[in-house]
Amino acid sequence: MGRLFGLETEYGIQVDEVDHMDVVVESMELIRCYLHADFVALWDYGRENPRLDARGFEVDELRNDQDEMAHLQRDRERKIPLSELKSDLIIHNGARLYNDHTHPEYSTPECYSLFDLVASDRAGERILLHCARRRTATRGGGVVRLYKNNTDFEGHSYGCHENYLLDRQLPFEQVIDGLLPFVVTRQIFGGAGKVGVELDRRVKEVTYQLSQRADFFETIVSVDTMHRRPLVNSRDEPHADPERYRRLHLITGDANMAEFATALKVGSTALVLDLLEAGELPAFSLADPVAAFKAISRDPQRRWIVGLEGGGEISALEIQRGLLEKAGSFATGRDAETDWVLGAWEEALVGLERNPEELVGRVDWVTKKWLLDAFVESEGLDWERAEDLAWLQSQDLEYHNVDPEEGLFLMLEGQGQVERLIGEKGIARALVDPPEGTRAYFRGKALEKFSDSIRSLNWDSIEFALDGKVEVVDLKGCVDPDVAARYNRALDRAREVGGLIAALKASAEGVE
Amino acid sequence: MRDEQLLQFRDRAPRPVKPVDDDEGGQDEGPRRPKVERPNTDDILKRMRKVDPNQARRYRQRTGE
Repeated sequence: MGRLFGLETEYGIQVDEVDHMDVVVESMELIRCYLHADFVALWDYGRENPRLDARGFEVDELRNDQDEMAHLQRDRERKIPLSELKSDLIIHNGARLYNDHTHPEYSTPECYSLFDLVASDRAGERILLHCARRRTATRGGGVVRLYKNNTDFEGHSYGCHENYLLDRQLPFEQVIDGLLPFVVTRQIFGGAGKVGVELDRRVKEVTYQLSQRADFFETIVSVDTMHRRPLVNSRDEPHADPERYRRLHLITGDANMAEFATALKVGSTALVLDLLEAGELPAFSLADPVAAFKAISRDPQRRWIVGLEGGGEISALEIQRGLLEKAGSFATGRDAETDWVLGAWEEALVGLERNPEELVGRVDWVTKKWLLDAFVESEGLDWERAEDLAWLQSQDLEYHNVDPEEGLFLMLEGQGQVERLIGEKGIARALVDPPEGTRAYFRGKALEKFSDSIRSLNWDSIEFALDGKVEVVDLKGCVDPDVAARYNRALDRAREVGGLIAALKASAEGVE
Repeated sequence: MRDEQLLQFRDRAPRPVKPVDDDEGGQDEGPRRPKVERPNTDDILKRMRKVDPNQARRYRQRTGE
């Protein structure tokens, strides 16, 4: 689609049939189940700084809630070094696989193609399922289960973050103002659905809402991601030339099971960013975006009406319709994936207006609600009865179970009742091959060809050991597809690290 | 399991792996629209009945980043 993007998904982890588990150790051990050999720490943390704020300052520390501060205090007493706990792996498809703060996390390789991204996201499910099965087989009791969701229904949320490369020239204030109406309303097709409400016990009447995450957002903009979460995260860590690029780190979205929902969520966001960069984005100014985010999610009537600044009201569908129409006139015919997104966006809005059940198998909140309603009817349950609601929450959780023998969504998929964008061959490729034409290709293939020479790596650099020296390959420029193609060509041709380094240096001087 | 055969879970000392053939028939690339008029839910309802009503209550996580 002409923009670099990626997804980072934190999975929930549970070990059943045991009295106690240490989730920190469990998550670490699960990640290591990917390996056949001992873990070797390669990730270069020195090149990360999540405390830099796009508004031009750096905070001393990121905020945590009280629960988490207590956990962190205990974590500090552990004897295991941080690098061991995190067990960061870069794998051959260019993805990052690690223990992020007690959650197994799979960060897709950065992609230019939307369908490559969806394939890689699906590959992440399979990789982590494999790890869970190996861990179950080796841990000496208990069954490890993984959930691609965003909540424990008790006030603890974990993310499915999206990343989009943006032009640095766009002032960050314009990013905030432009994105808010879209980010607040896209849950009508991107929401994964949730039974119940968290962190607001006054809300008793809402038994089902669109978004897993909406309950957890409290402010418009902030660098934080774990406490007082913002609708627009201002982390300024582009993993590219900071003079030319931003990385929009969007934390409001749900982890989607449906490929259609994942693709539409990312694809529509990419188109909105295209409009924003071109100065063509329609302006909608919401009176209270944070309240609107929650209100849309919780509206049992599904009217999704929100207030506008200065008075008046508008529906989420009207906002989305306005954005889609503008995106259509701006980008129709640009490429096949863009046209797919425009078509899918239209179908989603029409379905939501006419009869949401038309979107079963494509939009997660619709699919989950449809399943739950069938179960309520079959078992004579009552959404208003506390014990029944608890069972429905358990069904909600199992919707996200990544084991196809147990997970409700994946069972539906196995029955052919879900729209597939990516065939099994595409997922199989994404398990082992990085996306063509990307920086991730260089990362994944360098690891495959020259792993013994790699001293450390990060998203935007690799350090090679060569003849007693360290050669750093800076990959920041590879967010440009032409530069990535040049680097990847040199890597494909190289037979040893020395030849690769020489070729890259010659290429930088215009000799190939 | 096919994925596991495929992955071979390569680490820092990789070995050649090639994707297995797709034996599921009809799962070529490209979108496939589901038939969702009123699909048969019997099998999935059986599975849902087996879900422990307390599964979500036992499921406690730490806040993520």
